[in-house]
Amino acid sequence: MYACLYAPGSSPAALLDLALEFSPYVEQSSGDTVIFCLDPLRKLLGSPYQIASEISRLGYERSLQANLAIASNPDTAILLARHTKGVTLIPPGEEQRKLAPLSLAELTTDQAILDLLLRWGVKSCEDLAVLPEAGVAERLGPGGVYLRNLSLGVLHRPLRISAETSNYERRVVLEHPIVLLEPLLFLFSSALAEICSLLRSQSRAARQLAISMDLRQSAYQAVLEFPVPLTDHRTMLKLLQLHLERHPPKGEVVAFQLRVEPVEPRRVQSGLFLPATPLPDKLQITLARIAGMVGDENVGSPQRLNTHRPDAFRMAGLNFQLESQPEDVPPPVPPPVPHGEMLRLAIRIFRPALEARVRLVELAPKDVLATGVKGAVMRSAGPWKTSGEWWADTAWSRDEWDVALDDGGLYRIYQEGQTRDWFVHGVYD
Amino acid sequence: MANLSYAVPCDPRWKRAIELPQRAEEKSSNSLQIPALNHLLINGLTRGSLVETSGARSSGKTSICVHILAQATKRGEVCAIVDLHNSFHPDSAAASGVHLDRVLWVRCKCNPEYTMRAADLLLHAGGFGVVLLDLSEAQAGILNRIPPSYWYRFQRAIQNTPTILLICADAPQAKAASRYSFECQAKAFCWLGERPFARLRGITATAKQRKLTAICPEMPLQITVA
Repeated sequence: MYACLYAPGSSPAALLDLALEFSPYVEQSSGDTVIFCLDPLRKLLGSPYQIASEISRLGYERSLQANLAIASNPDTAILLARHTKGVTLIPPGEEQRKLAPLSLAELTTDQAILDLLLRWGVKSCEDLAVLPEAGVAERLGPGGVYLRNLSLGVLHRPLRISAETSNYERRVVLEHPIVLLEPLLFLFSSALAEICSLLRSQSRAARQLAISMDLRQSAYQAVLEFPVPLTDHRTMLKLLQLHLERHPPKGEVVAFQLRVEPVEPRRVQSGLFLPATPLPDKLQITLARIAGMVGDENVGSPQRLNTHRPDAFRMAGLNFQLESQPEDVPPPVPPPVPHGEMLRLAIRIFRPALEARVRLVELAPKDVLATGVKGAVMRSAGPWKTSGEWWADTAWSRDEWDVALDDGGLYRIYQEGQTRDWFVHGVYD
Repeated sequence: MANLSYAVPCDPRWKRAIELPQRAEEKSSNSLQIPALNHLLINGLTRGSLVETSGARSSGKTSICVHILAQATKRGEVCAIVDLHNSFHPDSAAASGVHLDRVLWVRCKCNPEYTMRAADLLLHAGGFGVVLLDLSEAQAGILNRIPPSYWYRFQRAIQNTPTILLICADAPQAKAASRYSFECQAKAFCWLGERPFARLRGITATAKQRKLTAICPEMPLQITVA
């Protein structure tokens, strides 16, 4: 037997609390409707009548105005609770009779089926229940059969128990302030171990770790984003340690709070013939260590920008999908290697570009002098005039030349359009 | 002693020194095929080896490295570039066929210590197809201060792994620790047309293996503008 409480206008939390007084397995189908199973209460409270009176008494004590319906299946209980005032108790086998007067519009919101049934003259559950099942299935499909079973009150299903929302955060107030990182990490370790254990037990993983620390005179807050969801507290602790070593709190820590953002864990189907890729958790620690040396802005994947501006790129986060397969996954047997593939000329860029002194003869460079670059021009090609983005701060205008110097190098130099200054942009190599 | 020398050829567990290189050749199915360098590397680059390309400016060493990266990323491998002087050019690499979304680029702010430490960390993290250590344009005095033990450490780190460590420098650095060492030299720069309509066509260079010179003599390379 199932009980349904329907309380329009009341607090969903209060309704859920009332249901949880009687059963730990409660389905909250909407904000104003809860359903729970009564079978375990039979030995504790007695017959369904006694259970209904107990629910009514507790609801009255809590000043909760609700309709209560008890039926042999959840959907019948919901329909009757929503459309019958007060307490309704349906003995098994009486569902069809009780549901008979209900309009079909109460059962479904599918307007196409409703219109069709109305054209057939079927207006209530009673009309629908008398239709033959095979005929309904032929004409209306599974949706029609579902509605017919609903109107008969014979639809059985398990409750959709809402998972308890867990609290993935730990707050620790220290008895004595801590200055050093090492004892702080000891405390972080135990807190993270608890959180990760909870995450794993609920098949969740952390994508983000937020840390806030109360210092003696200020506060410290940081958020660590993980490229892939993690459940290993050691990896999180190492990343946290590397972050705190780079950005230490400026003062004594009196309390801290760790909070993770739960997401679906990463599930990967590896292939035998896929190329090896770095392990995500190991890679994160490695990148954090490297970023600690060279800075976050100097580690990443180069991403070209949608512009013709020379050397336009940005350092993006690692966007190679470690779990996804490459587009051109090699088959198990290596394909025949083409022999005609050519080497393409690469260029090395001087960043920033080297300021240069260039002597022109007949409007062509004849000598180039810059830091580390010096020589007479043996041959040149240009100028290639480029400009763009005049509407933005990134505007450029330059005349580019490819020059071969007598020092044996092949360089790309350019002259700024505005200032007429010369620069060595890079060397072909 | 006489008995042992007599027994060696009969026992399959023992191999003569001359047979040892053949064992590496047997791994060719697990090697990285480099189409443009097939005449230099018949069996491709053996995994787990340290490879050097060296040469002066405009000798084509960077083009070779970028080509190797392109082949690796085409196969879906994740590669890393440890760049001492922040000189990697994403546009020309993409034009050479490098899938930039599978490349991790570490810019070391001209600090050789950071460069070596970053390479060390990446090699020990594992999982990369090719790690390019770009030491080009570094002063000889700075490179000479790198302890030789670093190269052996790197060699040990990638041994028996699918990773290839590729070193690009003006002069050979790893010496005996490297398995392949290519020395590049520009022969001529190729131009199309005459002034004022001339344009750069490419570089004609030669590359030779500094090791195994008897097997692989000097070979010409044609490097064209993408």
